Amino acid sequence: MNRTIVSFTAVLLVAGAAQAGTITGKVTIPHARTLADVLVYVDAAPGTFAPPKNHALMDQRNLAFVPHVLPVVAGTTVDFLNSDQVLHNVFTPDKCANKFNLGTWPKGEKRSVKFDNPGCSPVLLCNVHPEMEGFVVVLQNPYAGVTDKAGVYSIADVPEGKYTVKVWNRKFLDVTSSVTVPKTGDVKCDLVLK
Amino acid sequence: MESSGTLRRAALVLAFTLPLVAVIGSVARAIPVFSRKYQTSCSTCHYAFPQLNAFGKAFQNNGWRYPGGDANFRKDEPTSLGSEAYKQVWPNAIWPSDIPGSAPLAVHAVGSVEMPLNQPDSVAKSNLSFPEHVQVFYAGTLGETFSFFGEVEIEKNDEGGMDLGTPFRLQWNRCTGFNVVAGSLHFDPSPGDFSLIPSDINVSTLASRNGWTAAGEMPGLGVWGAGNGAGGRGGWKYTAGMVQGQGMSAFGADKDFYARASYKIGGLGEIGGTEGAASKTSAFWVDNSATLGGYVYSGTVAGAVYSQREHLDVVAGTANVWYSNAQLDATVMNMTSKIDGLADRTSLAWYAQGQYVIYPWLIGLVRYESTQEDKDVGSATTTLVPAVVAMARANVKVTLEYRRPLSDYDTRKTTDEHLLLRLNFAL
Repeated sequence: MNRTIVSFTAVLLVAGAAQAGTITGKVTIPHARTLADVLVYVDAAPGTFAPPKNHALMDQRNLAFVPHVLPVVAGTTVDFLNSDQVLHNVFTPDKCANKFNLGTWPKGEKRSVKFDNPGCSPVLLCNVHPEMEGFVVVLQNPYAGVTDKAGVYSIADVPEGKYTVKVWNRKFLDVTSSVTVPKTGDVKCDLVLK
Repeated sequence: MESSGTLRRAALVLAFTLPLVAVIGSVARAIPVFSRKYQTSCSTCHYAFPQLNAFGKAFQNNGWRYPGGDANFRKDEPTSLGSEAYKQVWPNAIWPSDIPGSAPLAVHAVGSVEMPLNQPDSVAKSNLSFPEHVQVFYAGTLGETFSFFGEVEIEKNDEGGMDLGTPFRLQWNRCTGFNVVAGSLHFDPSPGDFSLIPSDINVSTLASRNGWTAAGEMPGLGVWGAGNGAGGRGGWKYTAGMVQGQGMSAFGADKDFYARASYKIGGLGEIGGTEGAASKTSAFWVDNSATLGGYVYSGTVAGAVYSQREHLDVVAGTANVWYSNAQLDATVMNMTSKIDGLADRTSLAWYAQGQYVIYPWLIGLVRYESTQEDKDVGSATTTLVPAVVAMARANVKVTLEYRRPLSDYDTRKTTDEHLLLRLNFAL
């Protein structure tokens, strides 16, 4: 998780060296059990964004993918780590990620996959623990944030400008909103999913 | 029976066991109690319930705990029976422990439709049995070193009434290599632990002359253990113990002794772990390995058929080979029966069963059985049982089996040939 943040920060230092602000807000989903793991991202930011040199990290810990939703810039390599004292597997049935299957590996070891296709959000499954589920969401730019249990998110270091903010999640209808990011400071963007 | 004979039998059992490395008592199921406790699917532990996969066996061999630190994996909050710090106070306080934070209960229900073949017109062409039996399980751990598994089973009997069974066992899990179990012990004579299909395996149902079978659960005391082999792969299992003989009304009467040992080559370690387990493919139903083993049972059976007591000795060898989607199980069991005033009888039963996972939810199976009740009289009775097992969900199973007598077909076809559809579900 920390490594993911570092990777995103590295990209921001390159691509977003100009004045930047932060998009914050709360996602509300009526009648939902949890507001966590909703991805809020900036759609089609101007410019091109190189993937980070450091790999992003998706952990398998206590029979769960951590984080549950991992946003990456297209071209990013993701390391899949097994932190459990039981065998895990990672595979995806999604064509956009070439339906990979990484087999199994011992505790403390990693296997890596590069994600090239923006717009692809492959589900990650473990074929020895069917209840495990995670997602890598491949984006055009690094400006994204994932909600916590309260539905709160934050997208830092977004260059000044007018943007379309979108939401990705597996269960609810997506929504779109427009925001204008100031040179510095925050802009609030609350979203309601139905 | 005089005590010297009992001791002699015990010595024989131990002598057989020592060169090997032994399972009764550890033969218990993972059930939805554990599914809820760890928030994990049935297929984490089951090939197709109740048959365990490699991880399920490792979980069982850890005293129904996750290998490598159970506390990290359990999602429920246990109820404390004392602070950890009380360990420092002992013996001036009761050793601390905990109990499951919620009721550790699960239900397994079974129903079936049997269609006897070749029946005269006056006989019903199908028998519906819903429910056939219902089991309420209770299982879990009590702190770090005790675990329990019990059930209340209500089963329809042939007379149309209901039989009630209440087996349970309590285990002291000193370490994976040494556990003590007390309670109802089930001597499973097959290497695969549980039959996937309705037809019982012949080595379970082969009866001695006074009616002993390996299928029954018996009150007793035992020890068992397991460990990984070299490089964390495969490994050993053993079990040995003493049970009250079947038909024996008092525990103070003659005892039966058993021992079992097996060694697994390759595959997941018997007590789990991830060392040396990297592979390009994986699936919960795959565990490329070969397991060889054997068991002995020596006991006395009260006079259910003959007025005299029967002494029996059972010796068996088992094999289980698992490669990719295919699995082969085989057991050869020899039973010697001695009854004063009668000639000794030696019985031989063996079976071979192949299973193949067509899809993770669809398993094809065929079993060949050969049973010769008396090796000096007649020939073996042979039977073929092909079947299909479909997992409609991880906890809903539909099985269709065809039982076909091979030997003496004309005389057995009305009693032993059937189609049987069984529905199981657990929650």
